This record gives sequence, structure tokens and C-alpha cells, in this order.
Amino acid sequence: MRSAIDDAEAVARARGGDLDAYAALVARYTTRAHRAAFLLGAAEESDDVVQEAFVKAFRHLSRFRVGEPFSPWLLRIVANETRNLTRSRRRRAALALRLPSPESDGTSPTGPVDEVLAAELRAELVAAVNTLPDRERRVLVCRYFLDLSEAETAQVLDWPLGSVKSRTSRALSRLRGQLTPKEQYQVFNG
Amino acid sequence: MADRADWQRALESELRATSRQLDVPPAGDSSAAVRQRLEARAATHRHMPRVRPGNFARRPAWRAALILVLAALAVLLATPQGRAVITHVLRLAGVEIRQGPGPTPSARRTASLPGEQRMSLEKARHQVSFPILVPAALGRPAEVVVSDSGRVASLIYRRTRYGKVLVDEFAGRLDPILFEKFVNFRDVTKVEVKGREGLWIRGPHMLMYVNRAGIPATASARLTTGNTLIWGTRQVALRLEGNLGKGTALVIANSAR
Repeated sequence: MRSAIDDAEAVARARGGDLDAYAALVARYTTRAHRAAFLLGAAEESDDVVQEAFVKAFRHLSRFRVGEPFSPWLLRIVANETRNLTRSRRRRAALALRLPSPESDGTSPTGPVDEVLAAELRAELVAAVNTLPDRERRVLVCRYFLDLSEAETAQVLDWPLGSVKSRTSRALSRLRGQLTPKEQYQVFNG
Repeated sequence: MADRADWQRALESELRATSRQLDVPPAGDSSAAVRQRLEARAATHRHMPRVRPGNFARRPAWRAALILVLAALAVLLATPQGRAVITHVLRLAGVEIRQGPGPTPSARRTASLPGEQRMSLEKARHQVSFPILVPAALGRPAEVVVSDSGRVASLIYRRTRYGKVLVDEFAGRLDPILFEKFVNFRDVTKVEVKGREGLWIRGPHMLMYVNRAGIPATASARLTTGNTLIWGTRQVALRLEGNLGKGTALVIANSAR
């Protein structure tokens, strides 16, 4: 067994053509890249997007600045690939975001009232996120569903930091406006 | 304004909590495919970064696919056929793939194969002449249907995380064609499943069953859902259909045993 190598070392070796070192990066970031692709709208083609992104990332390793974190750099390529895909499909990735349907785990929503309400609220929240304009939806996905910082989001989406801030704020306001008063009560006073 | 910050914070934390519950399918294992492509690239390009050869050199799959596409296009252009614009382009494991619009779907609500019989997996294994493979990645099918007196076995998975998934199996390496597909050729790519050639067809297309007499069964004509992977083993040919990405489909195919 080879010992785990850190990202910087793996990148350095991969640049030299070491495919084993690159395989370590692929293994480390596949799940994260896939989640990003899926939530940004690649849907059932997320695996393809991930594969394409890793191949492109390898080709562009020479542009990667040593010492920079690998994850946002990779996710930017993933976001780009996803964008190309959804553009070529000429439609927005509908239903990209969803909660597991109650049947899928075999349980019906018969838990305590709080849980049922929380589940309804989340379903409504997800539905509201899905209806947001594309840019606002993407910024929320990056910030809250992929847990990226504002600076990382700016890098991944290739936007100025100011746009990330203003679009996030606009998206949150719009979401608040879309949730029904009952949900607002739940969210903001619960 | 403090009030505004409060509701924003609440909404942000609700979004973060929701994030953990979002339904995201598991990632397919892309490492083998990525490696294969990088090795293939290294074999044909001398650009940076240079790749040290792995244990075995693989053929550049995309190149083979491209040659196949060009050859097929050549056939397409070279053989003007009397009937319609349909031209035979590809054959693999009992499936013939043609480029063209295809027939109109069956007028019946549900297209079906001739003589469909629902039965247990165990019984189905006795009814057909080939070994029925079950993809371990999907587990036991919800339903098994044997059609046309044991010529085709279909495993139906009604509720997977990808929605409905269908696996049609039939005796492999047979000359007769069992299915005709009508696709746009640019949606077809060549893939490798367990060292054998397979075809990945992106997007829905017309599918029609061809009976023992070689006559297409119009009642079977239907539009497929999602994407399709076709591949074969020594004894059996398989057709996997569903809303699956290529990586996921390959993982499922590789788990068939």
C-alpha cells in the first residue's frame, strides 16, 4: 500500500505524468465533483461530466498554481462542463434538486408532527430554490449545498466576488418572498 | 438591519440543513475510465503532461469510435437504399442500430414483446437457453418477464434511485437480430465492458423487436427512456435502459453476474 499523499504532492507528480498520483486525486474528489455536477444541473449525466472534468483537469494541470487548493479549481471545471451540457440541452435542468420521496425509503411521513412539518417545509424550500433564476440558484447551490465560501464560489462560478454577494442576497430575499407565511413562521421563529 | 440579518441567518441555516437531505445519487466510479482516456491520449499525443505507460497500453477508445463513426457515415453515404432513409449502420450482440427516424410507436398504450410472461427469476432461468445475468449493483429485479417462448428475458426494476430500469437479455453471439434501434448516430459511442465491445446510446430512441422470422414486431415499437447500454458476454447479450449516466451504466454492467 502506498501511503496517502497530499493534494499538492499528487498534483506535482501528476504533472510529471504520474497517473497513479492523479488516480489518488480522482478517488479523493469524485464524490464531491459528482455532487457539484448533479446539484448544478447535470442530472443523470453527472458521471459523464465528472469523467470529462477529470480528463480536462489533467490536461490543464500546468495552469494550476502550486499551493492553491485543488477542490475549487476542479469544481470550476466541473461547473463549466455542467454549464456546457445544460446549455447544449437547451433547457434548464428541471428537478435537479429534490428530496428523497417518502416512498423511496419505504416509510410514510407518520413521524412526530414537527418532523412532518419540517419535511414539508424543506420540500417547499427545495421547490422554491428550483424556481429561482439560474444564476441565483447556482450561487445558492455553491454556498449552501456545496458548502463553499464566497471566495470559492466566485472561483467556481467564475464571477467577481461582488456578484456572488449580491446574487446570494437577492436569492435569499426571493426565497423568503416565495415561502408561504406558515413556512416563514417555521423558519424564522421556529 | 438586525432584523434582516436574523431572517437571513435562519434561512441560510435551513438551506444548510436541507443540503444534507438532498437526494443525490451515488457517484459512479470514474477512475478507470479517466485513466483509460488519459493513457489513450498519451499514446496518441506527445503533449504535456507526459504519461508514464501503465501496466498495459490500451487502445485509444475514442479513436476507434471515431473510425467507426466515419466508416458508418461512409456506408450511409455510399449505399442509397430503396426504402426510406433508413440505413443499417451498426450491429452488436443481436441489436441492429440504424440511423433514421424509425417507425411510429405502437398505437397501443403499452408496447410489448410477443408472448410476454411474468414469472419468478428461478422459473425464468429454466425457460431460456442462456444464463440470465443479474447486475449485483441493482440487486434482485422487482419483476422478470420472459417473451417469445424464451427468446428474451427482461429484468424490471421499478424503483431504483434512477427511476425505472430495464435489462433485456437474450442469447448472445447470435446472427439473428432481435432488436432494431433507430438513433441519431452522434448519440452512439463505443465503450468497453469487461474487455468486450459495448455501445452507449445517449438519449431516447425508437426500439423495435424483431421476431424469429426476421420480421419487426410493430406492437413492440416504442420510444426508450433515458440512455441505453448494449453489451455482450460470451453467452448472453444485454441491453440496459434507464435514466442512468454512462459511468453508472458501466458500473451496473460490470456487476452483472
